[in-house]
Amino acid sequence: MRQILAIAHKEVLHIVRDLRSLIVAIVMPIFMVLLYGYAIDMEMRDLPVAILDQDNSPESRELISRTISSDFIVDVGRLEERDQIETGFRRKKWKAALIIPTGYGETLSRNENAEVQLLIDGADASTAQSVNTYLNAIINTLNQEMMFETTGKRMAAPIQPTIRYYFNPEMNSATFVVPGLTAVIMIMICALLTSIAVTREKETGTLEQILTSPIHPYQVMIGKVLPYMVISFVDAALVLVIGFVVFHVPMMGNWIALILYSIIYLFISLAFGLLVSAIANTQQVAMLLALLATMLPSLIISGFIFPLTSMPKILQWFAYITPATYYLRIIRGILLAGRSWFPLEGGFMVVMAIGLMVLAVGRFKSRLE
Amino acid sequence: MRVVFYLIQKEFRQIFRDHFQLRIILFVPLMMLLVLGNALILDLKNVDLAIVDLDHTAASRELIRSFYASDIFRPAKHEVVPSNVETSLQKGLVDMVVWIPEGYARNILRGESASVGIFVDGSNANTAGQGGAYALAIIQEQSTGILQEKMDKNPRLAKLFHTIKPISRFIYNPELKSRYYMIPGIVVMIITVISGLISGMGIVREKEMGTLEQLMVTPITSTQLILGKLLPSGILAFFDMGLAIIFATLVFKLTIVGSLWLLFLSTLLYLMVTLGVGLLASTLSQTQQQAMLTVWFFLVFGILTSGFFYPLENMPPFVQTLTVINPLRYFMSIMRGIFVKGVLFSDILPDLGMMTLQGIIVLGLAINRYTKTAK
Repeated sequence: MRQILAIAHKEVLHIVRDLRSLIVAIVMPIFMVLLYGYAIDMEMRDLPVAILDQDNSPESRELISRTISSDFIVDVGRLEERDQIETGFRRKKWKAALIIPTGYGETLSRNENAEVQLLIDGADASTAQSVNTYLNAIINTLNQEMMFETTGKRMAAPIQPTIRYYFNPEMNSATFVVPGLTAVIMIMICALLTSIAVTREKETGTLEQILTSPIHPYQVMIGKVLPYMVISFVDAALVLVIGFVVFHVPMMGNWIALILYSIIYLFISLAFGLLVSAIANTQQVAMLLALLATMLPSLIISGFIFPLTSMPKILQWFAYITPATYYLRIIRGILLAGRSWFPLEGGFMVVMAIGLMVLAVGRFKSRLE
Repeated sequence: MRVVFYLIQKEFRQIFRDHFQLRIILFVPLMMLLVLGNALILDLKNVDLAIVDLDHTAASRELIRSFYASDIFRPAKHEVVPSNVETSLQKGLVDMVVWIPEGYARNILRGESASVGIFVDGSNANTAGQGGAYALAIIQEQSTGILQEKMDKNPRLAKLFHTIKPISRFIYNPELKSRYYMIPGIVVMIITVISGLISGMGIVREKEMGTLEQLMVTPITSTQLILGKLLPSGILAFFDMGLAIIFATLVFKLTIVGSLWLLFLSTLLYLMVTLGVGLLASTLSQTQQQAMLTVWFFLVFGILTSGFFYPLENMPPFVQTLTVINPLRYFMSIMRGIFVKGVLFSDILPDLGMMTLQGIIVLGLAINRYTKTAK
C-alpha cells in the first residue's frame, strides 16, 4: 500500500507540474457541458421566410398578413420575381419562400380550393422537414379559421391526439445532453490521461527504471492510474453538478446505484487507457488511438445524439461493444426514469471491464517479459 | 526556394518512414467518411412503438396500419397492456405507446372528437422529439382523411367550403436525405484534423527531440523552416480532401454541384487558419502532449459551434455571436454551399472574407511568435 501511494504521489507531482494539461482536463468538461447545454436546442425559431405575391389581391394580402403574424416567422420582405428565391437560398437570407400564384384570390372567391407553393431550402434535411411541418401547420390553422368563418360552426376534429412525454415533460434539451456528456467525458478523459501517462514513461524510458526497482509491477500500475481515476471522477461529478444546478436536470433515482455503475464504467475506461498504452509506443500514437477509440464511438454511435436504430446493422453491432452505449442507458434510466437495477446493461459492463482489464494486463506482461 | 524544397522532402521522408503516421493519414479520412457518413443520420427509423387498442374496430385497426406503414415506427417486441404502460417505458422496452381508448370508432361516427393518447419515452432525445412529432402528424393526416370523407358525403357542405392547399417543394435535396448535408461537414472535419494536428505535432516533436535547435543553427532562415513545416501538412490535407471526395462520390453517390475551382480556393484560404493554429499551438507548447491537447481543445469547441451537428440558427443569441470568431463555421457553410447548393463566388464572399481575415491574423500571430522564440 505504501508503495502504491508513493507512486501515486509521484504521478500527482507530474500532473501538478504540467498545469496546462490539468486545466484542460478540468475546464474542458465544464465548457463542454455549458456549451452543449445552452447550444443544443431542437426547437425551431426565427424562421426567415420570403414571400412572392403574384396575385396581389385582397385574399393574398390576407394570407400574407396572417402568415407573417405567426411568432416564429421572420418576414424578410417581398420578392419581385421567382429567380430571387434561389439566390436567397444560396446566400442564406431565407429558408423558405411562399409563392401565391396569379388567380389565387379569384379561385377562392369562386369557393374552390386554391393552391399556394412553398419552396423550402432542402440542403439541411432535418431543418427543412421541420420548416415544412411548421408552414403547413400555419396554413392548416388558417383553413380551420376560414371554415369557422364561412360555416359559422366549428367542426370537431375527428381524432384529438394528446401527447405526453414521460421523464422529461418539458422536453428540456439539457436533460438529454447532460447524462450523455457524462458518459463521453468520463471515458475520454480517463482513457486519454492514463494512456498518455504510461506511454510517456515508456517513451522516456523511465518506466523500465521503475520496474527494475523492488516495487511490484501491479503496484506501479495501480499507483500510476489512481490519480487519473480521481480526476475523471471529479470531471463526471462536475458535469453532473452543473447539470443539476444550472440546467435543472432531475435526479429521480438512487445515488448509490449511480456511483456503483459509474465506478464500473470508470474501470472500463481505465482498462481502455491501459490497453492503448500497451499497444502504442509514442504519446502521439497513444493520444490519437485513445481519442479515436473512446471519443468517437461514445459521441457518435452510442445513441447520444444520433438515433442508433437508423444506422446500418454493422454500426449497430459496433454500438453494442461500445461501453458508453450501456452506461448512457443506465445513467439516463437512473437520472430521468428513476430506475436503479439494470441487470442486462450492468452485466455487459462488468464483463467488459474484466475482459479489457485481462487483455490490457496480459499485453503488458508479454511486453515486459 | 531550394532549401524549402529539401525541407519538404525531409518531412515526407519522415512521414513515409513512420508507418503509423502514414496509416493515419491514409485511413483516418476513409474511416471517418465511412463511419460518420453512415452514423450521422438524423432521419429517424425503427422506433419501437406499441399500440394499446381497447376499441378493436375497423377504424382503430386502420389507425394502427397507418402508424406501421412508414419505416419510422416498427411494432415493439414487448407486449404492452393498460397496466404496464409506464413501466414498459421506464424500462426502455418500448420507445412510444399509442393508446386507442374504447369508443374510438363510435365517437368518430357521431361527429365527436375521439381522443388518442401518445406516450413517449422522453429520456431518449432521438426518439422523443422527432418521434412525437411524426406520431402527431400521422394522426392529423388520419383525422383530415376522415373529415374529407365526411365532407364528400355532404355536397352542401363541400360547396360552401374551400381550402388553401400548400404544395411543398424542397430545393437542392428533393428526397431530404440528411447525408448530403453531413458529408461536406465530414470533409471539413478531415481537412481540419489532418492539417491542424500534423502541423502542430511536427514542430513540437523536433523541439522535444532537440532536432529543432540543430536545424536552427544551420543557415536555414525561420521563414524557410516554417514553410518547410507547413507546406507538407497543407499538401497532405489537400490529398486527404481529394481522397475523401473521390470516396464520397463512389460510395455515397454524392455529386458536387458547385465549382471545383471555388472548392480549392476556399480550402486553400482555410488552410491558413488551421496551419496557423497548429503553428501557434506548437510555439505555446513544450511537449507533443500539450500541443495536441491545445489543438484538440480548440477543435472541440470549433466543431460544436460550427453548425456541424446542430443548426446555428437554433442556438441562443449569445452563442451565435460567439461563433463569429469560429473559422470552422464559415468553412462549414462554404463547403456545404458548394457541395449541395452550387453557390457562386459572390454568394460566399462575406464568409470567405471573414475566414481569410482570420487566417491572416492567426498565421501572422503564429509566425511572429515563432520567429521570436527562435531568436
